Amino acid sequence: MEEYRQEIIIGAVIVYMVFCVLTGLWAMRRTHSASDFFIAGRGLGPIVVSLAIFSSTLSGFGFVGGPGLVYSIGVSSFWMVVISSIGYAVCFFLVAKRIRMIAELRDCISLPDIVAARYGSEAVRFMIAVTIVLGVMGYLATQILAMALVMQAILSGTEMFADVGLITCVAISSAVLIFYCVTGGIIASVYTDVVQGTIMIVAGFLILVTAANVFDGGMQEATSIILSDDAETIMPYGAAGIMASLGWFFVFGLGLAGQPHIITKLMMNKNISDNRSMLPLSLFGYAMAALLWISIGIVMRAAVLDGVIEPLALPDDAASVFLSVFTNPFLAGIVFAGLFAAIMSTSDAFLNIGTAALIHDIPKAIKGQSVENELFWARIVTVLLAVLSAGFALYSHFQDATLVAILGAFGWGTFAASIFPVVAVGLNWKGASAAGAVTAIASALLINFVSQLAGYTFPYGVSGQLVAFVSSMVLFIGVSLITRKPVLEPDINRVLDI
Amino acid sequence: MALILLTICLSETVPDAEGKPHALFAGLQIGGDGAARLEHIGFFGFMFQSLLMVQIVLLSILGVAERYRTNKFLIYMVSALAFMLLIGWQMFSAHLEYLSSNETGYFLGFPNATAWATYGTWLSAIPLVLIYSLGFRKFIYTKEDEKKFNELLAEKASRQE
Repeated sequence: MEEYRQEIIIGAVIVYMVFCVLTGLWAMRRTHSASDFFIAGRGLGPIVVSLAIFSSTLSGFGFVGGPGLVYSIGVSSFWMVVISSIGYAVCFFLVAKRIRMIAELRDCISLPDIVAARYGSEAVRFMIAVTIVLGVMGYLATQILAMALVMQAILSGTEMFADVGLITCVAISSAVLIFYCVTGGIIASVYTDVVQGTIMIVAGFLILVTAANVFDGGMQEATSIILSDDAETIMPYGAAGIMASLGWFFVFGLGLAGQPHIITKLMMNKNISDNRSMLPLSLFGYAMAALLWISIGIVMRAAVLDGVIEPLALPDDAASVFLSVFTNPFLAGIVFAGLFAAIMSTSDAFLNIGTAALIHDIPKAIKGQSVENELFWARIVTVLLAVLSAGFALYSHFQDATLVAILGAFGWGTFAASIFPVVAVGLNWKGASAAGAVTAIASALLINFVSQLAGYTFPYGVSGQLVAFVSSMVLFIGVSLITRKPVLEPDINRVLDI
Repeated sequence: MALILLTICLSETVPDAEGKPHALFAGLQIGGDGAARLEHIGFFGFMFQSLLMVQIVLLSILGVAERYRTNKFLIYMVSALAFMLLIGWQMFSAHLEYLSSNETGYFLGFPNATAWATYGTWLSAIPLVLIYSLGFRKFIYTKEDEKKFNELLAEKASRQE
């Protein structure tokens, strides 16, 4: 069986991609309007939405970058994962009910629609839409590049495709992604998310079992090896130290409620009362899938320190080397399919919100109305956005890596800093004003951009993202308090009372 | 919390507080002297962590309509906060204990302090999840709320006709 390892892995990935294409074709029949395309007509059940929420949360970064971070800096990066229970809880307490109510009451199809309704301000809509477009470009480019690099790594292990180029891999992986997103919109995305989420849960559990058996003494032997080399790495704050870890606690814990691709999903469930089961279901799924993040990183670091395997060329190789050295081919096939699932489930969510921002929100903020025939333009812009991001990813890879890095800064941390106060706090505090919202978004973008461009670092590993988040919260509350108390529209006022 | 952050940024620094490269293996970082790294900011770091937990619970309370913030609900939330703070303290104190003794026990594969961080932090929000899910019809979205919202939708529908 070992001699067919590459063929088994490629087979698993092909089966998965064929499934995505078929789902796109099936979902196309159910997509009749822009509302269907962007928010599935608010008709999804709790299990579907829950799996979509958690699989969108765990991107390719969780499968590739996550284990690499644990390998490199130890327990520090656990703080991006173990706070997920807190993150989901805060997200549901603050956002889930009211975003769903406003979506139905005002027929909102995007997050900027929600904030425009809440603040009665096109300026806030515009700022949120621009933030989303900037973030989406960076995120999508990195996801497409990651997908292509993994595909190239898999194919290059075979004789037939040994010389396959990166551009070909970008074309193949983007084509599948574009096909099901264009044909089936968000309906295709969430139903592929169901399978993607299931694959990730299975992969996470099986990897944990495999990782626990790499050393005779199980995980305890692995952590003991790390402890004897450098105790701080395996202590609670890891090699990066206390403030880097707590920064991630803050940005990833609270910031989950500010991620547009996640909270947009909270507008899609059929019944508001589904929220009660969606919270534990999303959390369970994420916890299971994230086992992979932690267990691979720990075992790979211990294996290198103990001389079981050679040091890795790059920390991001941790997952792929683990799969090729320690797992049987079938498990490797499932996990590689899971990796594509993680990347695609996040990418399709970003394509969806980015398209909505471009054809619906920015025109509405500028001209007072969105484009005519939204469904048609949604499909066109989805293709253009994906092609642009793919081109951007390739340009960055071959010419100038700083571009994606800069827009990459407009990722999780910027979304958290700019959207959390405006949405999560603003939906629960009548005193929040449009001026406060605009100030918070502008400061978050500015601090993140400047700290990224200038390469400025704060002492003790305090991150620019944490400074941006704390600053935007302080400014949001402060400016709202000193500006005139906003007059809410009657229906929004009543929603905020419920 | 902003003030604590400022204090930390202005505190006396120690070399390699945010880690340094491993002497033998490229790509690996190490933390080095744990006691030195916490010497000037350990207390502030723990305060920041504790205040973050307080903020999380306060924000969760903000997400519940004022009329449902009953004594019973607040007792649940304060208990949830106490549970989170207890886990945070167990983790921090177990870490300090290791730094002073260089000895540790293990729990489910991890040194005690890290087990508190890994399993404990994950579990620390479970009371919040339970309050939300089990108390959904009492505190989050009651039948009365549902009725009010349906009235709003009906008014909207009648305006559109």
